[in-house]
Amino acid sequence: MNFVNTFRGLALGLAAAALVLAPSAAADETCNSPYMANLIKGQEDYVYVWTLGMEGLGDGQDKLVTVDVNPHSKTYGKVVSSASVGERGEAHHMGFTDDRRYLWAGGLSSNKIYVFDVASDPAKPKLTKTIADLGAKSGWLGPHTFYAMPGRMLIGNLSNVKDKGGVTGMAVYNNKGDFVSSVPMPATEGGDGYGYDIAINPSRNALLTSSFAGYKNYMRPLGELIKDGEAMKNFGNTMVMWDLKALKPKQVLAVPGGPLEIRWSLAKGKNWAVTAAALTSKLWLVKPGKDGQWVAKEVATIGDPSKIPLPVDISIRADGKGLWVNTFMDGTTRYFDLTNPEAPKQTYELVTGKQVNMVSQSWDGKRVYVTSSLLANWDKGGADNEQFIRAFTWDGKALKPAFEVDFIKEKLGRAHHMKFGTAKLRPA
Amino acid sequence: MLGKFAAAALVALAFPAAAHRGIEPPVALEFEPPAAGTYALPPIQAVPGGEVIDTSGRSHAFGDYTRGRITLLGLVYTRCGDPQGCPRATWAFSAVRRLLRDDPGLQGQVRLVTLSFDPVHDDFKTIGAYSQRMGGNRAGAEWHFLTTRSRPSLAPILEGLGQDLRVAVGSNAVPGTEEFTHSLKVFLIDREARVREIYSTGYLMPRMMVNDIRTLALELTRSR
Repeated sequence: MNFVNTFRGLALGLAAAALVLAPSAAADETCNSPYMANLIKGQEDYVYVWTLGMEGLGDGQDKLVTVDVNPHSKTYGKVVSSASVGERGEAHHMGFTDDRRYLWAGGLSSNKIYVFDVASDPAKPKLTKTIADLGAKSGWLGPHTFYAMPGRMLIGNLSNVKDKGGVTGMAVYNNKGDFVSSVPMPATEGGDGYGYDIAINPSRNALLTSSFAGYKNYMRPLGELIKDGEAMKNFGNTMVMWDLKALKPKQVLAVPGGPLEIRWSLAKGKNWAVTAAALTSKLWLVKPGKDGQWVAKEVATIGDPSKIPLPVDISIRADGKGLWVNTFMDGTTRYFDLTNPEAPKQTYELVTGKQVNMVSQSWDGKRVYVTSSLLANWDKGGADNEQFIRAFTWDGKALKPAFEVDFIKEKLGRAHHMKFGTAKLRPA
Repeated sequence: MLGKFAAAALVALAFPAAAHRGIEPPVALEFEPPAAGTYALPPIQAVPGGEVIDTSGRSHAFGDYTRGRITLLGLVYTRCGDPQGCPRATWAFSAVRRLLRDDPGLQGQVRLVTLSFDPVHDDFKTIGAYSQRMGGNRAGAEWHFLTTRSRPSLAPILEGLGQDLRVAVGSNAVPGTEEFTHSLKVFLIDREARVREIYSTGYLMPRMMVNDIRTLALELTRSR
């Protein structure tokens, strides 16, 4: 399948619905790095929302917003703190350090990494460090995925500072914020050099990456972008399996349609991962094949691909038997039965907003949170530009609204990535 | 790879109480690791200085135990009851030492260091008794057990290493009796006192650790 042609054809065919190939987020407790301590397996106390500032709204800056989500709290469902970073730089994704003491948050246009202390006062995170040397040290641009490794952070990037295209790589920083090393995405033997998400399966020494597009595309107004045929060729169509220890690529997998978020099954003894291809609206399974090779296989369709529902974020159950999928264009949150990962089946859906991107479920699967923003230049306009966090309860049959925070009304900005917080750090 | 029986025997040998605490054997490898010397271990951070005391109560510069040899450093406290915490690190050290015995090329190049982060309870006598339970100076690699004179003397070492340590919520707050929370971390340190790898739960694979030690040893061989 020709990703570019398919992408262009579908996009042009639905010009009015032309918000395409949206970056989303590794958002929920079940998607955290396997090296992370103190997973929250009971009731989370806070949801941290990495929020993109909007010009003319409040201070206009990117900020980390803390929402109290403990139903037993007096401030349940309310914003309890907000920490602005002094600029607007396309706030996007974030990730905890391995000890869960610090939350690293990236700016896709500022090319900066903001480090928040979330341990000293979990209700009021404090910006303690800004790392501004990613471009100078590694050459990469657009820090996207922050994936904890022991004592350090593996960062998946989207672009490079030289030509701001999609060829990029990963960078490693120690937990103090010092640069350690960088590694390029493979650009030969089937590799396209593009990057997006990263996810690790330690038991297989396996690091899996996906691919998206560079700064020149993700910062461009979408209506303009889709009319530029040359620019539309610059999207990734691959996933790469790496030798984690050596940080060397082992195998390039053809996964057309913009493979974005990656989730390994957390079930014991399972070694498969799942991803959603945004453009083609397909779920893909990556699993061990013969002779130490890996296989990527299309296993399900999400909605009606001809309508470009745009699957963006996904959230896997802790037992690996279910998957939430948010589709941005139709504002729908979908649930897939993953009991047989070779043949996922959609069993539920609900329109949760006029635009939805991130979806995060609690470890026990009983609570589901949804936020609204993709990118500043890709979010919908006018009345469709809702910005929120909405919380639901899930009883296995239906999502029931619990609370919501209107980020426009609260003068906060575009609600993007979510991470859970706890008032009590658990023993490692 | 350790068989189940060998692993169980190792647990019993290295940490007698382990079997009663539900400790699982060290993570077995489901993959063939890259050959030693075929990959890089970039320096992650420098090891901080400081003062430590040995099992005889003598003071030493921390650098005496982090320079000149390839070092595996683990931080524990002897009262730790979390089976996925300190006992697992100590037990991994036993497994590593056992593997090192079979590698004559690494004899004399490696040391293991266990440092307590509970100086109030783990004085030099306590850490000495703990070392005896771990088997003293068996073959494979020298194994040093250290503590510090006080929390203020320990603090810069923890800070420098990036080792988190908190008193657990709801724990007794009396020094020397409290329950700690901490990430399990084992540090692989090169001869120049630079951290080259950090292992935590889920990454604590003795065979891989020995492979990394060989990788550092090969750096010296190739530089000569």
